[in-house]
Amino acid sequence: MSPGARGHHLRVAWVEWSMSLLGLALLVVAFAAALSVASVGLPSGVRARTSGALTCLIGLAGVAAGASALLGDSLSVAAPGLLPLSSAVLSVDPLAGFFMFVVGGVAIAAGVYSVGYAHPDEDAHDGATLPTGVSSRTVHAALPLFAAAMVMVPAAGNVTTFLVLWEVMALLSLLLVLAEHRARPEVGGAGVWYAAMTHAGLVAILLGLVALATAAGTESFAGMREAGPGLPSGVRTVVFLLVFAGFGSKAGLVPLHVWLPRAHPEAPSYVSALMSAAMVNLGLYGVLRVGFDLLGGGPRWWWVLVLAVGALSALYGVLQASVATDLKRLLAYSTTENLGLIFVGVGAAGMFAADGDSTLAGLLMAAALLHTANHAAFKTVLFLGAGSVLRSTGLRDLDKMGGLARRMPVTTALFGVGALAASGLPPGNGFVSEWLLLQGLIHSLSGEVEPDVVVAIAMPLAVGAVALTAGLGVVTFVKAFGIGFLARPRSPEAMAASEAPGTLRAGMVLAAVGCAVLAVAPLLLVRSLDRVLLTMSPIGQESPVHGAVMLELSGISGSMSPVLIAVSLAGGAALLALVVGRLGRRQPRRTALVWGCGGTRLSPRMEYTATSYAEPLTRVFDDVLRPEHDVDITHHVESRYLVESVRFRQRVPDRVEARLYPPLVAGVNWWASVARRLQNGSTHRYLAYGLIGLLLVLIVLGVTS
Amino acid sequence: MSTALYTQLLYLVCGGLLLTSVLTLWRRELSALIRLLTAQGVLLAALAALLGTQDGGLELFAVAFGVLLLKAGVLPVVLRRVLVDSGAARETQPLVNVPSSLLAAALLTLLAYAVSRPLVDLDPTPTTHAVPVGIAMVLLGFFVLVTRRRALSQVIGFLLLDNGIAATAFLVTAGVPVIVELAVSMDLLLVVLVLQVLTARLRAAFGDTDIDELRELRD
Amino acid sequence: MSGPALWSVVGVVIQVLLVVLGAPLLVALMRQVRARLEGRAGAGLGQPWRDLRKQLRKEPIAPDGSTVVFTAAPVVALSSALLIVAAIPLITTTSPLDDVADLYAVVSLLLVGSVAMALAGIDTGSAFGGMGSSRTITVAALAEPTLLVAGFALSVRVGSSNLGSLVEHAQRAPSVVLSPATLLAAAALWIVVVAEAGRLPVDNPATHLELTMIHEATTLEYAGRDLALVELGSAIRLTILLGLWGNLFLPWGVATTVTPGALALGVLVMVVKVAVLGAALGASEVFMAKWRLFRVPELLAGSFLFGVLAVSSSFFLA
Repeated sequence: MSPGARGHHLRVAWVEWSMSLLGLALLVVAFAAALSVASVGLPSGVRARTSGALTCLIGLAGVAAGASALLGDSLSVAAPGLLPLSSAVLSVDPLAGFFMFVVGGVAIAAGVYSVGYAHPDEDAHDGATLPTGVSSRTVHAALPLFAAAMVMVPAAGNVTTFLVLWEVMALLSLLLVLAEHRARPEVGGAGVWYAAMTHAGLVAILLGLVALATAAGTESFAGMREAGPGLPSGVRTVVFLLVFAGFGSKAGLVPLHVWLPRAHPEAPSYVSALMSAAMVNLGLYGVLRVGFDLLGGGPRWWWVLVLAVGALSALYGVLQASVATDLKRLLAYSTTENLGLIFVGVGAAGMFAADGDSTLAGLLMAAALLHTANHAAFKTVLFLGAGSVLRSTGLRDLDKMGGLARRMPVTTALFGVGALAASGLPPGNGFVSEWLLLQGLIHSLSGEVEPDVVVAIAMPLAVGAVALTAGLGVVTFVKAFGIGFLARPRSPEAMAASEAPGTLRAGMVLAAVGCAVLAVAPLLLVRSLDRVLLTMSPIGQESPVHGAVMLELSGISGSMSPVLIAVSLAGGAALLALVVGRLGRRQPRRTALVWGCGGTRLSPRMEYTATSYAEPLTRVFDDVLRPEHDVDITHHVESRYLVESVRFRQRVPDRVEARLYPPLVAGVNWWASVARRLQNGSTHRYLAYGLIGLLLVLIVLGVTS
Repeated sequence: MSTALYTQLLYLVCGGLLLTSVLTLWRRELSALIRLLTAQGVLLAALAALLGTQDGGLELFAVAFGVLLLKAGVLPVVLRRVLVDSGAARETQPLVNVPSSLLAAALLTLLAYAVSRPLVDLDPTPTTHAVPVGIAMVLLGFFVLVTRRRALSQVIGFLLLDNGIAATAFLVTAGVPVIVELAVSMDLLLVVLVLQVLTARLRAAFGDTDIDELRELRD
Repeated sequence: MSGPALWSVVGVVIQVLLVVLGAPLLVALMRQVRARLEGRAGAGLGQPWRDLRKQLRKEPIAPDGSTVVFTAAPVVALSSALLIVAAIPLITTTSPLDDVADLYAVVSLLLVGSVAMALAGIDTGSAFGGMGSSRTITVAALAEPTLLVAGFALSVRVGSSNLGSLVEHAQRAPSVVLSPATLLAAAALWIVVVAEAGRLPVDNPATHLELTMIHEATTLEYAGRDLALVELGSAIRLTILLGLWGNLFLPWGVATTVTPGALALGVLVMVVKVAVLGAALGASEVFMAKWRLFRVPELLAGSFLFGVLAVSSSFFLA
């Protein structure tokens, strides 16, 4: 080692940082993250506002960075010596920029929302549960850091940086999920499930990425991209499967989704929004980055597998959502459903790219990415709305809600916007991306490339699955909106509801505005996706979607105009209302008791509940859902022939969790009991294990070198 | 400083380091062990300073000063306080008796020399020829950690281990990045402080600090 | 405005007016056919219009505790139906809104109408409203896969899912109509038409027993002009479904050019087709009883199977 080289490791080399908007935005993120750590010392009132403001700032920086990357800017920075064993590399390209944009947008709305959530409201009703634990220092410091980690994950440029940021994000999200653990005992169990599954996913991702880096000889993404197509196909397959398992678990695909419906209801609502609308997208990012970018696409059967898993997740998720009575559990399963649909698009795009049909592949990938953005927007609105309801009434159970439209009109209207978008109906934004997805699937058999048997069988089944998902999604959100907000309140807590305070409404409005913009002007986003598609080498061409008012597909014949539909519906409804109002102006509308077929006075308790609303579906899909019934009959004291009261309970457990996980957990327990024999209580023996291990390694090294 | 003088001083210091490690296996009184540790700390600081004169950089002198402060100043003080708290003055019969420990020390030193040959061959300068000493210190420290009964002696073994790692790092790369050194020192301090509390509690609960008594707590 | 553009607008206006004015007549025709077959005199072809006129003069009532959703739902349902009427190829395929007439868009707009009525049913706050709403939306959800898969089957050969293109292609190549794919798709879509329009054996539009209602239960609380809008809306929905089925599988006579002669022929042919189909549907209802609600999913699953067979045969036998 030359004398001159000594001591240089003490200095850190920085590459020239160009002060573009992109670079500036990343600096802002880092700065805000540092500030949030420092904010631990602030007093409680200021702390909530600081944490919300910092999250919002990080979100804005993420949006700015993402937008500038989508418009063509790019950045690549290396900082050797910052991380042990390796250097920290950041590289932002359009694909990363898209995900930073989406994550940043969600963070803005969640940040604004979180300011008012944590403040105890002076005129909240006594029956409402005030959120405890959400005002703690840990949560206030962790929220902006979590947002910052999520914004930075897509910007990672080598394996070490990516894994460090990923793990930081996972740990911070775990902290946030456990925010209210003092208030409810279920939170602890949910935290354990989440921690176990996210770390199992991390192990899979770690193994896959390390295998890829070893085979490629370098750990930077740029290097792996060049070496990717040249690797042996066995290695590529193993890497893809591991990475798909790890990132799929984060994205909430069946059967690794079980943490979603457990963790999301227990986390505070803005954390659920961040996790469900932003964090799960990073699972998608991982699959796209490794599968399409680093490995350069793959053989067709990979993508058939992705398509199948996506379709299964979509169907299972929407089915569980349609029979769920806990509002946040419903929304969590809906996340699984939407991610399943996105992966259907990704899988089909991969299939067609492998076959050489780039037009269809581009269309399907554009549909999948657009649906990611749409889902982020409407899922944020829905979770924030559910949070407002929870904060105001203390209720998560749809069976006890109702009548909130008169008491919380703004929340109801915004939740309605979100529900319309989530159900995939025009004029919502979910409709546009589902239309694009279906167009891609429908044109598969009449495309430019001659389709073969696999495609001919997979496509109709995929169309059927997407259609059934869309139909059941409509049922789910009609149930959630109708039972939760309309008619009369079913419980005293719902009757005592009051409108959410200002910042909560502001957060919801921001997310709803995002939905509206995406609904009428989706081309704003689709045009910028062209650059993303160009970076993905198997597709490598622009998407065939254009047109401003009318969406037209070039190379495939298909067109639809979301703006025209929205305008015509609104205009037609207004015109009709006017005409009919004129016709009937001599007969004003009167409010009267509900007729109910002339029966006795109906109490609100006799209204349909969420359980009863989903009952036909539960019966139809009985084999898949296997609901559990409990009937308790209390007889009169004096006579067993007379019934005093009947209590009916229905529970729909998650069947995948009940069948798949207990054997796994039992296996782990058995293995642990075997390992326990090594553990006899003597500290000396444990230390001796270490010493003997070290000696063995040294001897082996000495012998083999 | 001429190369010959430098080499002489270097081998002297390294010899001293190895000697103190071996003596730790021989002596039984805990206060003697603490004195040996202090001496080792001083020798380590001297090593860093020597390398600093060779290198010409200011960083190594700063590191030497820090090492002196921590390993020859703060840590022995804390350890003495632990010794007073625990009350025992001697190490009772260790798991491996003294003659066998010394034999094992010889074997471990030989192993260290064998293992570090490839390292030395990479860059045969006088400094790297002393690397086996560092590795031997690591192995000896680990051995002390494994075979001593008292909690305090185990911590001393742990500190020996860390001294060995630091010595190896100084000899191989002419220093450790300041950040790493800082982090490791923080860890060390933490461990020793925790031990102080633990020893007091152990003594209060069991009247003794024999680690093997803890075996009763097994599930 | 240039000639062809003007005539295409005229065509759309005629299409909308024809459907709005003719939908109650279609309902009357079906009721009349049923009555005659059952040996009754029937109420006459003008009865639905008389009913509408009566309802417009009566007082509308909103239940206590309901919200704006209840009063707005009939308007939304009717406006979505009218938008569909303006876009789809009933008389002519040259509507200026034709580019909007994508199959999935039309299916979704139909679903918007069902959703509006379902939400209104929940909003009434009565158990019957909730029941009807739950059943309607379940049937609609289970019918959607068939609609899309059958549409897929039809669009494979044409390479587009635009309804106007489908009709024009079928016109140009009449042999397509007798291919196995098209026949299977026709059978699948006929079942869906029956389910979506709420006819026997899925739902009985003339029942008065609340526990057997599906669609009717959501409209129990409506009175006055609200009820008029609701009834007009369901009549238009029925016309749309029958007209679309007729034009997809019996496409002759639909105007593909914008000359007045073609338009007039299109009007005539559509009236005849829809009348014949309606009469056939009404007649078949006489010989059927309503099925149990939980046998309806079996029916819809069977129609889904037909749809999948249609797609595979359009590929394998093409």
